[in-house]
Amino acid sequence: MLQSKEISNKEMLEDTFSLIEDNKHLNAFITLNKEASLKKAENLDNNPSELSLAGIPIAQKDLFCTKDLRTTCGSNMLSNFIPPYSATVIENLEKAGCISVGKTNMDEFAMGSSTETSFFGNTENPWGQGLVPGGSSGGSASAVAAGIVPAASGTDTGGSIRQPASLCGITGLKPTYGRISRWGMIAFASSLDQAGPMARTAEDCALMLNEMCSHDSKDTTSLDENIPDFTKNLNSSIRGIKIGLVKEFDLSKLDSDVVKVFEESKKHYESLGAEFVEISLPNITLSVPTYYVVAPAECSSNLSRFDGVKFGRRCENPKDLEDLYVRSRSEGFGDEVKRRILIGSYVLSAGFYDAYYKKAQQVRRLIKNDFVAAFEKVDVIMSPTTRGTAFKAGSMGNDPIQMYLEDLFTIPANLAGLPAMSVPNGIVNNKPLGMQLIGNFLEESKILQVAHSYQTSTDWHLKTPNGEIS
Amino acid sequence: MDKKTVRTIAHLSRLTFEEKNEEKITNDLNNIIKFVDQLNDVDTADIEPLTSPLEKTAKTRSDNVNAENRKEVFLNNAPSSNEDYILVPRVVE
Repeated sequence: MLQSKEISNKEMLEDTFSLIEDNKHLNAFITLNKEASLKKAENLDNNPSELSLAGIPIAQKDLFCTKDLRTTCGSNMLSNFIPPYSATVIENLEKAGCISVGKTNMDEFAMGSSTETSFFGNTENPWGQGLVPGGSSGGSASAVAAGIVPAASGTDTGGSIRQPASLCGITGLKPTYGRISRWGMIAFASSLDQAGPMARTAEDCALMLNEMCSHDSKDTTSLDENIPDFTKNLNSSIRGIKIGLVKEFDLSKLDSDVVKVFEESKKHYESLGAEFVEISLPNITLSVPTYYVVAPAECSSNLSRFDGVKFGRRCENPKDLEDLYVRSRSEGFGDEVKRRILIGSYVLSAGFYDAYYKKAQQVRRLIKNDFVAAFEKVDVIMSPTTRGTAFKAGSMGNDPIQMYLEDLFTIPANLAGLPAMSVPNGIVNNKPLGMQLIGNFLEESKILQVAHSYQTSTDWHLKTPNGEIS
Repeated sequence: MDKKTVRTIAHLSRLTFEEKNEEKITNDLNNIIKFVDQLNDVDTADIEPLTSPLEKTAKTRSDNVNAENRKEVFLNNAPSSNEDYILVPRVVE
């Protein structure tokens, strides 16, 4: 529409902001960037641009620093933080012409799978009242699913792009660790965190990814590898491609409707000429416990920077420096964040370091080795993304481990650093569901191709809570 | 993990919580530790720990001065500051 000039950039952005207003009940956004966005759109109308994503409205997860625009990370700790710089990935998207319309809600410091741990209240899934959108990138997923924006940014430490994509019926991709610069991303677990695109289709994810990736000298873990055009192989046939099915993923424990959706997707891929191969990842069942040592350890270390001194929230009338640290942190962080900091401090403390942290890193290598061996036999690995569809807010109760198991299928790709995505593949009881495709290192193009072949021959990705889009 | 251990790690983390929540926090942490204890059943003798999936030596860059002095910007971000310093409660009497 923008390209054919049926609508001006400014009209498009005005539409976006009225959609945000109409969908206020979703609570998908924490902060809006209305004035600056409309100004940018007006500039584009006056000076048309040839940039690849010129004028496209994008929602940014509130975990990326945005210059002069409040960045809270879903936390009271940063409820007043206005960054003096933008994350590299934000700069990359804006350089490509994107307009950042606002910052989306998320689990506090990305710790959660339902967006219920946000200081700014729950985000609702547009597929049903009281349903969670998943998390931690729940606001981004909800905004795309509701049709407010065509795409959004997310981050994924243990499934935080793929799980909400699955529960909201959209497509989301976590690239290979290091593909996208982490500079300006508020760190949760540095060896696992990776940013990525969330959009309606694999094709849109590829277009976003083209602009999000870069080698960044400001992030020493940023990859200095060739960045291909991720749209190039989208239309290649998948005939003869080998898709691995993980023997150790016991699907019999899942709801039979969920299994049926997965089986139908397999049949569909077979009809497209793909071949299924059973693979074994013997240590994969240890992924969740491994993650819940590694991630809290890195989190407790990363979050030590929030001390009420240099930026962020400070408690009222501290009686001394120690009191300032303790009360600023205790008032600024929510329960889940505190829980993970405590676990992290415990597994890193003297006497326990070898038993927990070192042990988990050793198991992490075993898990990675399993994947390396599997990718000698197959091109991609397929599984469900989630154990089921979106659940009701509050229904996970008080047991943190139940919530942790939400990420059973997604965590392994973060531990190994592999690219993985979620693709809508069915609807159960009026709620969407996704399947996961995991690729070998740097092979985002391959999983995008496998996803695109599915989306050009099915219509699950076009279904929205308001009916099917054309 | 007993309440005393929880108090110690809370101190190490510079966190405090109300006494009435102590029981629940201790229980939650114990359940999580019990859950991750299954890692102990794995034989990891001679396995090199994996600290990052990249396993590449970080690339260095030359140490050039390339940023302007933005003292004011950063001081403005601090909860309390004067024209030169970030302020905290008196440390030395």
